[in-house]
Amino acid sequence: MMDRRAVLGLGGAVAVGTLLAPGIRLLAAPQPSSSSVPNKTEALATQRWAMLIDVNKCSADCSSCIAACREENHVPMFGDADRDIHWIRKVELRDRERRKPTLSLPALCNHCEHPPCVHVCPTGASFIRKDGLVLIDEHRCIGCRYCIIACPYKSRSLVYFSTQMPIGGNPKIPIRAKGVVEKCTFCVHRIDEGLQPACVEACSRSGGGAMLFGDLNDPKTEISQRVKMLRTEVMREDLGLKPHVHYQGL
Amino acid sequence: MMRLREVALYRIILMAVVGVLCLMDNMPVWAMGAAVPQLQPAQDKPCVRDPAWMRRNHPEFLRQKRDLTVREGVRVRNESLARCATCHQDRAQFCDRCHQYAGVDPNCFTCHNYVHTP
Repeated sequence: MMDRRAVLGLGGAVAVGTLLAPGIRLLAAPQPSSSSVPNKTEALATQRWAMLIDVNKCSADCSSCIAACREENHVPMFGDADRDIHWIRKVELRDRERRKPTLSLPALCNHCEHPPCVHVCPTGASFIRKDGLVLIDEHRCIGCRYCIIACPYKSRSLVYFSTQMPIGGNPKIPIRAKGVVEKCTFCVHRIDEGLQPACVEACSRSGGGAMLFGDLNDPKTEISQRVKMLRTEVMREDLGLKPHVHYQGL
Repeated sequence: MMRLREVALYRIILMAVVGVLCLMDNMPVWAMGAAVPQLQPAQDKPCVRDPAWMRRNHPEFLRQKRDLTVREGVRVRNESLARCATCHQDRAQFCDRCHQYAGVDPNCFTCHNYVHTP
């Protein structure tokens, strides 16, 4: 994956160099603090980002993924249970006959292959990116909430109130306009820098290491091997949406 | 014939009144006869494009890049809005003064932060 990125960055640099008109000096490609990130990156159609959650490693009293998500994306809390925004939640699975133990697992946007939210969006604000991420172009969102109704996983929330940039909030994430819909982005800004989503990083650091993230199309990644080898399940497979958040040990 | 001319005259007057009312709502500073603002000079480095070109085309430049970044995932790090803030450090002295002068009200900063992020 890194090789591809490097090659792409090189190609981008060459393209920019040749595009320059004579006499115009291009700002020397700045070296960001993490110098491994090339100046230009692009989503690749060959990639398919996915997540695998090992339910057995997820304990009921741990919520480090939620805290990390809130910190990274400064997801606003309004103090109103009906209107609070949740990108990732912990849900409990209880067996009705009580034959299986109660399970606790994180639920987030499944980034479906056939997302109903995108299908119903009247303005084209919800879309599938080339690498399989289901994202919202908030510049185009009119807040009609069709997508919230269409999503069977309750992954989407409307921003009901105006928000302020929290002190010490991540400057890479804009604050939300009032009246747009938002949801988990798999931390797209981190993925584009070659990093893992904030919840996955937090889970491996201070949680049980239950979450695994990677490119499902690359046979060398751990996630593609594990999804291939192990018995994994997705939520509501019967709907045929092909979610990209897989669960192991349900 | 006379009536037609009268109607046309009234129409022009009405349009003028509406136009003046619209202007009063968000009067560009140039309409009040102010001089072109001298913007805060950039910090030492040259711009990613020719400054004269940027002056005219930055809305389209940023809008096109916005769509490319959001929808196609193309991220050119030294051409992002956040990079503007490395050289033009004060938004009030750079973006806002000229926007005020031109009487335009772009809504980039209702959500986006004008802070340089490495």
